[in-house]
Amino acid sequence: MPNSILKDPALAPDGRRKIRWVEQHAPVLNAIFKKYLSDGTLRGRPVAVCIPLEAKTAYLCLLLHRAGARVALAGTAPGYVQDDVAAAIAAEGVTVFAEADATVDGFEAHLNRLLETEPVLLVDDRAELTRLLHTTQQSRRDNVWGATEQTTSGVTKLRNLAREGRLAYPVIAGNDALCKHLFDNRYGTGQSVFAALLSITNLYFGGKTVVLAGYGWCGKGLARRAAGLNARVVVCEVDPVRALEAVADGYRVMPLTEAARLGDFFITSTGTNAVLRREHFEQMKDGAVLANAGGVDTEIDVPALGALAKEKRDVRRHIAEYVLADDRRLHLLCGGLLVNLAGGDGHPVEIMDLSFAVQALAVYHLARHRGELPPGVHPLPAEIDREIARLKLETLGVGIDSLTPEQQEFLRRWR
Amino acid sequence: MPAPATIRDSSLAAEGERKIEWVAQHAHTLNALKRKNLDDGALRGRRLAMAIHLEAKTAHLAWLLHEAGATVAVTGSNPLSTQDDVAAALARRGLEVHAVHAADPAAFDAHLLRTLDTRPELILDDGAELITRLHEKRRHLLPGVRGATEETTSGVLRLEAMQREGALAIPVIAANNARCKQMFDNRYGTGQSTLTALLSATNLLLAGKVTVVVSYGWVGRGLALYARGFGARVVVVEIDPIKALEAVADGFEVMPLAAAAPLGDLFLTATGSINVLRREHFERMKDGALIANAGNFAHEIDVAALETLAKEKRDARRHITEYVLGDGRRLHLLAQGALVNIAAADGHPIEIMDLSFSVQALSLHHLARHAGQMKPGLHPLPEEIDAAIARARLELLGVQLEKSTPEQEAYLRSWR
Repeated sequence: MPNSILKDPALAPDGRRKIRWVEQHAPVLNAIFKKYLSDGTLRGRPVAVCIPLEAKTAYLCLLLHRAGARVALAGTAPGYVQDDVAAAIAAEGVTVFAEADATVDGFEAHLNRLLETEPVLLVDDRAELTRLLHTTQQSRRDNVWGATEQTTSGVTKLRNLAREGRLAYPVIAGNDALCKHLFDNRYGTGQSVFAALLSITNLYFGGKTVVLAGYGWCGKGLARRAAGLNARVVVCEVDPVRALEAVADGYRVMPLTEAARLGDFFITSTGTNAVLRREHFEQMKDGAVLANAGGVDTEIDVPALGALAKEKRDVRRHIAEYVLADDRRLHLLCGGLLVNLAGGDGHPVEIMDLSFAVQALAVYHLARHRGELPPGVHPLPAEIDREIARLKLETLGVGIDSLTPEQQEFLRRWR
Repeated sequence: MPAPATIRDSSLAAEGERKIEWVAQHAHTLNALKRKNLDDGALRGRRLAMAIHLEAKTAHLAWLLHEAGATVAVTGSNPLSTQDDVAAALARRGLEVHAVHAADPAAFDAHLLRTLDTRPELILDDGAELITRLHEKRRHLLPGVRGATEETTSGVLRLEAMQREGALAIPVIAANNARCKQMFDNRYGTGQSTLTALLSATNLLLAGKVTVVVSYGWVGRGLALYARGFGARVVVVEIDPIKALEAVADGFEVMPLAAAAPLGDLFLTATGSINVLRREHFERMKDGALIANAGNFAHEIDVAALETLAKEKRDARRHITEYVLGDGRRLHLLAQGALVNIAAADGHPIEIMDLSFSVQALSLHHLARHAGQMKPGLHPLPEEIDAAIARARLELLGVQLEKSTPEQEAYLRSWR
């Protein structure tokens, strides 16, 4: 049994309490555990999990552990690690390599330690583990049966890797499952980003201009919740279809260079880097608040902001104030890290119940069909997606209709 | 020199300072009105006692009044809402402070009385905590008090009851009833901040959840609006037929609490009344139901009845108590039934309190100048002061108003 690396085992009781709360609100995962995971498929299998380390992730790991897998876990960045949860999950027998105050090198060391557990199945986020297995840790790659990927930005990287013909094992794009991105990216990000922004700033959103860079699933969720807070929403897009969708949804659309002057709040969710950069900082209003809700930690060009500022100070927990040469103050939340995770508890529990149901069944699918899937990026089979939605509706007590035989017949006809 | 402060720990002052500074940066209206009105000398040397939810925004108000020359003594209006770091910062700045987070009822009462014992000429009250004690336990100080202002709906209700019985011996401005207060603070302020507290305290999803909002006053309207904004299905419960009709017209489902009890995933009270959620409702609620209070007093939820019904009680998460009932159902009470936005979060947004406290500051300023001409009893904030506050805020936002033409003015004045 490899030794865990964590901050302080004494923090476990707090972490355990958080995990118990998740357990109470994860009916889909609980049902999937009983119906599928506990059938022995995962028994003895080394599974490596690399996901923001808080209570919901811990509960996923706990269920995989109870299903007999040998689970090892690391966070996706030090800012996304809750030490009390790490302690609690380690006490349950999951191997943990994560500390909230780890340095960049320390973090990389944690990921390497994770891969030293010789996993055959990977639950990955932002393709961190696959990146290592295709660069510095190639020797451990042959063990791997397959992986699942949690994020849009990770899937983008994996497709690039597959396009170059280099992806060495099958990866299920967990992110692209309907039960994942329709809920997690949209409603999960929407609610939790505002939960974090509201508590961090204690500022009022009614009548404020909220500029959203990116109108993908995350951006759509953010726009809806911002409108629900009576904010005036401005959307910035590079894709004409999405921009048109934003217009049809009733939002103002304009280039970021124009929006820069108008925004009271800026939220990025683009999956690319340096979205908010010097040319925008230079035009922003005094007091503008900047936050990142996207899968890339460099969506806001923080070094450029630092270079522009004559002074920087902490003004409230999670808020850094940059005073520019002309005395305008820009307020950066959580250093440009994902604001809902670094400044809050991340997505709502019920949302991650769905997302992790996707991940758990994707891992289970990979284990059952070992060797059958060629290397490359694969969708989650549609019947698994539908099964997850069905289970969720069941726990909600929501009944749905089915087609009559006549309707089924009608839909099969072509003349 | 102020009397020694009653606070938790003076070493917390630095963190409190940082919070107050953030508020000062966003309290544009109050800062502008201070320069324009408060600094005219009317408050200089006046002894002022304040009972308020003692956090950074109220601290900034207290500080500006102190800067305007008043001698300020501050206490909390609810022990659970007092933030010890902010209390420490205010004490360090030289104000007299008597407030400790989570003080027991006896200590809380003592803090209020010590604040009254500073012999205030002006009182800024919340929930009528100081004014009722002044009339009952410190009557000898009554002649020195020129007037008071009241911050909350529930405080105004208490004062109206006093007035009906002929017991109210000083003029009180019902600051709560000012339009710049209740239309923004009670509605949008409570709406946004209560939902903020719920989201962070629970980490649960609101979309698709049945949220039962008990009462559709200004606070209830805001709660319903923001719950809908987060995707919840909102059910409104009302006793007033007009408000109920308004809720229907706003697109919400309306039903009695007995019918709503088995449906709700989340219950929010904002009635100003007592024992709104009680045994008969707890008995019918779903497993896992969340219960929170957004009204001023903690007794809207009959916590004692919940304690009696429960076979087990434990902390489920920070700010959440889980009660396990005899049949295994779990009910989750937030912040022990206290005002959830203040007890489990930082309270109203700063810009909202900027308006509310502009009302308070100008009410006190008005009392300092004109209390002598005001009779004992409840008074509205003069309309022109209300309008001046809105105008100041709009000006700071760069929003311009339309003006009536002379023809339109003449039309509105004519009757034939």
